[in-house]
Amino acid sequence: MSQVDFTDPATIAELMAALEAAGVDGLQLERPDQGLRIILARGRPAVIRRPEGLAVAGASRTTVKAPIAGVFLTHDPSRPTTLHRSDDVEQGDIIGFLRIGPILVPLTAPASARIMRRVAEHGAIVGFGDPLFEIELQS
Amino acid sequence: MHDRSDPTQSKRRFSTVLIANRGEIALRIQRACHALGLKTVAVCSEADRDALYGQSADMFLCIGPAAATKSYLNKDALLLAARLSGAGAIHPGYGFLSENAAFSAAVEEAGLVFVGPVASAIATMGDKIAAKTAMKAAGVPCVPGPDQELPSKSGAIREIAAEIGYPVIIKAAGGGGGRGMRVVANEAALEDAVTLTREEARKAFGSPALYMEKFLQHPRHVEIQVLCDMHGNAVWLGHRDCSMQRRHQKVVEEAPAPGIPPDLIASVGSACVAACRQIGYRGVGTFEFLYEDGAFYFIEMNTRLQVEHPVTEMTSGIDIVQAQLKVALGEPLGISQEDVTCKGHSIECRINAEDPATFMPSAGVITALELPSGPGIRVDTHVFEGYRISPYYDSLVVKLIVHGATRAEAIARIRGALAKLRLEGIATNVSFLRALFEGEGFARGETDIHYLENWLRERSAA
Repeated sequence: MSQVDFTDPATIAELMAALEAAGVDGLQLERPDQGLRIILARGRPAVIRRPEGLAVAGASRTTVKAPIAGVFLTHDPSRPTTLHRSDDVEQGDIIGFLRIGPILVPLTAPASARIMRRVAEHGAIVGFGDPLFEIELQS
Repeated sequence: MHDRSDPTQSKRRFSTVLIANRGEIALRIQRACHALGLKTVAVCSEADRDALYGQSADMFLCIGPAAATKSYLNKDALLLAARLSGAGAIHPGYGFLSENAAFSAAVEEAGLVFVGPVASAIATMGDKIAAKTAMKAAGVPCVPGPDQELPSKSGAIREIAAEIGYPVIIKAAGGGGGRGMRVVANEAALEDAVTLTREEARKAFGSPALYMEKFLQHPRHVEIQVLCDMHGNAVWLGHRDCSMQRRHQKVVEEAPAPGIPPDLIASVGSACVAACRQIGYRGVGTFEFLYEDGAFYFIEMNTRLQVEHPVTEMTSGIDIVQAQLKVALGEPLGISQEDVTCKGHSIECRINAEDPATFMPSAGVITALELPSGPGIRVDTHVFEGYRISPYYDSLVVKLIVHGATRAEAIARIRGALAKLRLEGIATNVSFLRALFEGEGFARGETDIHYLENWLRERSAA
């Protein structure tokens, strides 16, 4: 059985269309010979601002929520080093994953921020909109 | 929480049920599952995160935003939730995806059990022409009119109408719920009516196919509940009168339908059971009929649990949701028609979050709630004091069901129960229902499907 070529623009376009349709922000596929990571331009985890009364002066606290139901993973089980272990993250850094069937969806930091609380545990089943991280945006 | 993990349940087809619905029916199904020792997965949209039935489920998972298309109607999200939770079956409840053949097929293709009929039965009954053909073949009485799609040529359509006799009704083959139909009084109005209905059908149901039937002028809506297993056993559980309708939406239902000769209803019930066997139907279903001048006319079959199933449960003593789950588990019915005996009389009214005069939906927080209780009174609801009624879904908040030895006793009981009911913070139709049950028309019974709208018109004119 011939394998899909991840470098084929048509394949990438097809996958992007599927992600769009499913409301998924990105995906990561790994094979011995090829790897593919797609993060859609709109692709940031849902960010909900806390009520203003809880905001810290000079910084803004937000909650990173699950964009889809899945199994939350703190790191890619096949590549443990991909976990950004520092509490200080830059925009686009991978801060966790959601496993949806065979697909691993990376969760990225929406902005430069400090992770104040990791809400979901590794391996937990989370629903759409469930809080995963509380972060403080860096000004 | 993966299926088949419990060795005591290992012989069952599934041990965990994902309930793909919300509100009172989600809670009702959950109770039936727990009574049978089945685990439950409740799913919700963001708007229903505070639902109490989520806390009493074995797992509670949010599957999408408030919009039903992105949550309760999202097949992929529901299948994903089933996979994540290890559920072995999906119960669709009523509404949403309960009569969606593609969803039934997708569930079975995913290796799960759909608590309902097979996709082909849903598809056949969803197509009104195919359903009518199947019912005629099984000897179920149908409304006069050809069980085939209307031709495109206006001359041929005129001939069909003349043969049936005016007034006629034009219906969308893929329609239902009172939509996509038009009454035609005479030949002069026929062509425009066909054109308009065809266009509506194309837009609303994705198919321009129409059919034509004799329009009955003063019918009652009477329906027959059936229950079938996967071993060729089928029974009917009595009949219901659902003639109290406003804009084709049922408001009050009762069982049995008053004033129908037992021999007549028995022959129709037997025909329904024969039809189920003929099409290999499984699970629960309802044959809906118009009843006029002592004759029954099949209109459609609902291939799912009905909102009004409790009145049949109250008279037959059979828990229809548990029976439905047992069928899905592969168990035989365990009862024959001779075992089905209906006793007394039951009435259900739907308490909706809506303005009692304008019927506009009402959203907000329930600030006070006192529900009636006592012998012969049953309340099916998911709401509680402090519950927020969201504007996104159906306005049904409480089903009040009563049972009495006679119809008169049941009416007295529902009047008393409504008097005790207190639900504040949102507008409801309670005052309208109280007035309806006080009226002579309801007490007399045997009212037709136009009674309620006429009663409302007279009331607003007074």
